[in-house]
Amino acid sequence: MADPRNRQYTNGDITVFWIPSKCIHATTCFRELIEVFNPGRRPWVNMDGAPSRRIMEVVNKCPTHALVWKDNKDLTKEELKAQRNVLPTEENPGNLSSPNESTSIRIMRDGPIVVEGAFTIIGTNNEKLRPTTLSSFCRCGSSRNMPYCDGTHRKIDFRDQNPVNGE
Amino acid sequence: MESEKTQFQVIEGGPLKVSGPFKISGPDGAIISREGPVYLCRCGHSTDKPFCDGSHKRNVFSE
Repeated sequence: MADPRNRQYTNGDITVFWIPSKCIHATTCFRELIEVFNPGRRPWVNMDGAPSRRIMEVVNKCPTHALVWKDNKDLTKEELKAQRNVLPTEENPGNLSSPNESTSIRIMRDGPIVVEGAFTIIGTNNEKLRPTTLSSFCRCGSSRNMPYCDGTHRKIDFRDQNPVNGE
Repeated sequence: MESEKTQFQVIEGGPLKVSGPFKISGPDGAIISREGPVYLCRCGHSTDKPFCDGSHKRNVFSE
């Protein structure tokens, strides 16, 4: 019997399968395509965030094959059936990381601040934001989902390095 | 321990204040800071990235 934590997501064209037991948090998926793979959201995979071709490209880079894709034409009967069963309490990669290590804050090149560990987030109205163990914060100033990254940095060509001669 | 948790405070129109235990690594993987509080640029305009240099005052962004 398949692991009940396994998930599948479709856009009607292809289906992406997520096998959490294989995920080592290489973070390739959300560094490449936060519009689709966003651990801060539920469900954490949004198949409408990018064209199938781009999703397939990024899924192919998953080093552990925790993410795999299939053409919908190739789905088995069981997989088609599972497509209709969406469970409300879904794990996301963040729920799987260890709470014992000190919080890791990674500055992604020309991208967001990726945070992993035990932490709290206080919003602009001094309110506690939804607890999570993995977040990515916008660094380009242009996200439409502040304070989180929504992938806009790529559209505006955000760069860490400022132009030498100023702006 | 609850009190040992790292805290991220989103400052309206300004940086992200980080306090508590943490380590920050840069794009090349090298650790660039372990002690807080630090203020990380959110507006995209700091000349001292990833840290805030006050540039957000000249570059208003929407939350």
